[in-house]
Amino acid sequence: MLGFLQKVADYTQDAVGAAKYLVQGLGVTFDHMRRRPVTVQYPYEKLIPSERYRGRIHYEFDKCIACEVCVRVCPINLPVVDWVMNKETKKKELRNYSIDFGACIFCGNCVEYCPTNCLSMTEEYELAAFDRHSLNFDNVALGRLPTSVTSDPSVRPLRELAYLPETIMDPHELPSNQKRAGQLPSQIVNELKKKKSQENKNSTDILTNKLDSINK
Amino acid sequence: MNSGIDLEMSFTQGIQNLGFSPEVAHLLWIPLPMLLVLVSAVIGVLVTVWLERKISAAAQQRIGPEYAGALGILQPMADGLKLLVKEDIIPARADSVLFTVGPILVLVPVILSWLIVPFGQNLLISNVGIGIFLWIALSSIQPIGLLMSGYSSNNKYSLLGGLRAAAQSISYEIPLALAVLAIVMMSNSLSTVDIVEQQNSAGFLSWNIWRQPVGFIIFWICALAECERLPFDLPEAEEELVAGYQTEYAGMKFALFYLAGYINLVLSALLVSVLYLGGWGFPISIDWFSSLIGISIDNPLIQITAASLGIVMTVLKAYLLVFLAILLRWTTPRVRIDQLLDLGWKFLLPISLVNLLVTASLKLAFPMTFGG
Repeated sequence: MLGFLQKVADYTQDAVGAAKYLVQGLGVTFDHMRRRPVTVQYPYEKLIPSERYRGRIHYEFDKCIACEVCVRVCPINLPVVDWVMNKETKKKELRNYSIDFGACIFCGNCVEYCPTNCLSMTEEYELAAFDRHSLNFDNVALGRLPTSVTSDPSVRPLRELAYLPETIMDPHELPSNQKRAGQLPSQIVNELKKKKSQENKNSTDILTNKLDSINK
Repeated sequence: MNSGIDLEMSFTQGIQNLGFSPEVAHLLWIPLPMLLVLVSAVIGVLVTVWLERKISAAAQQRIGPEYAGALGILQPMADGLKLLVKEDIIPARADSVLFTVGPILVLVPVILSWLIVPFGQNLLISNVGIGIFLWIALSSIQPIGLLMSGYSSNNKYSLLGGLRAAAQSISYEIPLALAVLAIVMMSNSLSTVDIVEQQNSAGFLSWNIWRQPVGFIIFWICALAECERLPFDLPEAEEELVAGYQTEYAGMKFALFYLAGYINLVLSALLVSVLYLGGWGFPISIDWFSSLIGISIDNPLIQITAASLGIVMTVLKAYLLVFLAILLRWTTPRVRIDQLLDLGWKFLLPISLVNLLVTASLKLAFPMTFGG
């Protein structure tokens, strides 16, 4: 008899617990309703890509020396470097350069290894095309600069993640003069430089001290 | 108790004054409520679909429909229009007769059930004596339609979905009927008008929810299960069954299922407000209020405002419940089929039986408060 009553009590406790958790869950969903949507309404609003964003590759024809390093470091030897040897000047003469962005994985190896910095990565990511062959960019197409999100008048640029001020998650109603959390990369570099020079000074001091003591 | 506004009587009287016989007047009256039900049901569905999309979006911190009309209010219309012009497909080797009859058999009982939903003293289509029992009887037709469409689709997902829908509807109808029975016992009548009137003596304090809190919860859970809403949307669980019995449907036949689902949701919410939340009654008693401001209850101004406010009250209560259903949708995970049947047979059925017994004994013990 007692065992049965215990079972009934346990069962009731379970049911009450389930109801409690259900109400708690409803509280969470209800609370979410008063938060602002996180939606970025894409063609009208766009997130600003980060400085190191690896988008479509930009290429400067005049800087290129046709060394083909980019081809060698590419995982699938993608860049096509079309050059001829000029017998008279004994120099390579570049005729065409192309990268097929239908096959590129945007790893950035070519940009990393280019000896003359003629390759660089842009913030362009809208590469949709009706025909995959139109993604095979030649040196003219590669030389075009993308429209920046911040300079496009039809787009409202939005900051994201680390580019937002501290504790703020929503970029929508944020004045542009509010700075991001932490320091800018240039500020960090300056600080590091300062520190380094100070350390050097210290070490030279120690060195001279030691030399002095030896001399004595 | 006064009778309030009787539209039918004034309409037939007006027609008779024009020189027609009472029969002709009645004949002229009949199509009007039918049209009204269809229109109000469809508008109710459009509003519910819009609310569902907007509230779902808000609960997930999205925006939801925005460009079709102001705040996307025309989005359900656009959806309906799209379904209307889509190709009507009957799959190869499907039973075309059953395939067509299925969705109709699902929709018609739901719309018929609107007969008994009162929006005011005389603002309902027909005050039939069996009242709420008619709704329970009609809602038993629905699983036949679901089973029909599932079986005739020539698709294993449809068949499984149809079987699940039938199992679910049948097992949740019993606690639902028992919860209603406890209410009926308290109000000594099956008629929805009587049930509401019996709750309107002292404003919100006399609502049935205070006397039947357990019954209210049972009824709400069962109503969600009958509407196949989350957490009980097993018949159309997309992760397991694609879309259940709707898998093979497209165009207007699919729209019938869609419409039936939402009309059923609105209807269930309306019936909860009628059975437990005092229907068209105000949170404060109208008799008390009119005596407070010193106007007779028979004053036409009071009558008109009371009637229109009564409609607003019913709809408001119903839509609060619809809101709760949508919120529940994004809060609760879907139950498994065994958990569903466990909940129905091992939890709700015994609880509702106990509830019925307790109500009966309370009725004997306190005939004043529990309707002797």
